[in-house]
Amino acid sequence: MISRAPESRRWAALFSTWNRKAHYYLGLYFLFFLWLFSLSGLLLNHSSWAFAQFFPNRKISKIEGPIQFPLSGSDLDKARAVMRQFGIEGEIGWGATRDAAARLEFNVTRPGRVYQVQTDLKENRATVTLNEYNAWGVLRGMHTFVGVSPDDPRNRRDWILTTIWAMSMDAVAAGVLVLVLSGVYLWWNRREKRAAGLIALALGTVVCGLFIVGLRWVYG
Amino acid sequence: MTGQSVRRLYSIVRDLHLYSGLFISPLVLVFAVSVFFLVHAWIPGSSAAPAKRTAGDLPIPAGVELLTGRAQVAALRGVLDRLGVKGEVGVLRRIAKEHRLVIAVIIPGREVSVDLNLETRSAEVTERATGIGSAITYLHKMPGQHLANLRGNWGYMRFWRWLADGTVYVVMFLTLSGVYLWAVLRAERRVGLALIAAGAFSFFGSLYALVH
Repeated sequence: MISRAPESRRWAALFSTWNRKAHYYLGLYFLFFLWLFSLSGLLLNHSSWAFAQFFPNRKISKIEGPIQFPLSGSDLDKARAVMRQFGIEGEIGWGATRDAAARLEFNVTRPGRVYQVQTDLKENRATVTLNEYNAWGVLRGMHTFVGVSPDDPRNRRDWILTTIWAMSMDAVAAGVLVLVLSGVYLWWNRREKRAAGLIALALGTVVCGLFIVGLRWVYG
Repeated sequence: MTGQSVRRLYSIVRDLHLYSGLFISPLVLVFAVSVFFLVHAWIPGSSAAPAKRTAGDLPIPAGVELLTGRAQVAALRGVLDRLGVKGEVGVLRRIAKEHRLVIAVIIPGREVSVDLNLETRSAEVTERATGIGSAITYLHKMPGQHLANLRGNWGYMRFWRWLADGTVYVVMFLTLSGVYLWAVLRAERRVGLALIAAGAFSFFGSLYALVH
């Protein structure tokens, strides 16, 4: 019983030290990722900013040629065969519906580049239209490049680099969660800053709560 | 700079880092948690069964179907008010052949679809609660890059736009002030530099692999 209090204090001190280190270290490791997602988030919310236009300035080129489809296989297998023959790599995106049995159409996307592929299964031909975007387009692409959407069950991640990038996004989000929680703990340990900090945190929570539950509660 | 003014600057930057970080932390949590839902295309929380109702004798302004963007939303606001539907108009779809306008109205966590028949001046209203997961995912994507001429047609969502922008500016300040606060700590410099280098390597490595 006598040694329990110092033991718990030692653990608390150790936790405090590592909590502080985690706050610095994670912030420093994710620095570039945080800048990317912050800046690209701003660009996405201000798509009319003239200096950051990418779509009107895109370069378009077209390739057309014969292709060989696999004798059997899914649409994904056929799409991959076309991509191999044209030397294209990226995330496959399907339209909402398959228009005609004799035609297979899909997009292949990677940040800064979109290939629109149209194939004719009867004639064994394909047309690939390549849209290339500038650096602003690449930035926006990085922010939203996940290969899936909650509203679109047809599309699944099918490129290894999309999966790796999605995992990076998860890691950044988890890192940010730890940054926030460790920051709150750091603040709570500074007794002289508690009152003013509480006001700042409460203000942020009220504003945020208004949007997450408040509006629904008032107007629901 | 004298030693005293350096200490004063450090103290000011540290306080600003602390208080702005605390204020913005709930918003940062919203953006961070919703990343998991967006990356995995999975939104938790079941949506309740939709509630349907109909209404007639609506004050539909003449020629409203020919308007576009904000002007159309402004013209329809009276109809939506009469129906008791508040929120940000997300999408407006005109079905010309059937003289219908389908309007999606969203409050974070609730979606309302108003199917307006311009001929009979009636509407079918379908309301659906979508939950907190959906609310934060929606907020993450707002105002977003699409339908710029329509976004922010509800006062609260205009306020959200400022908050979303503000979050970015404060996060930028937090990262820069954080680097300054770390740089002052000599004992942490070596590890910190190694971590910045490791982060830069992962970041630029990913960028290169994805783009080239």
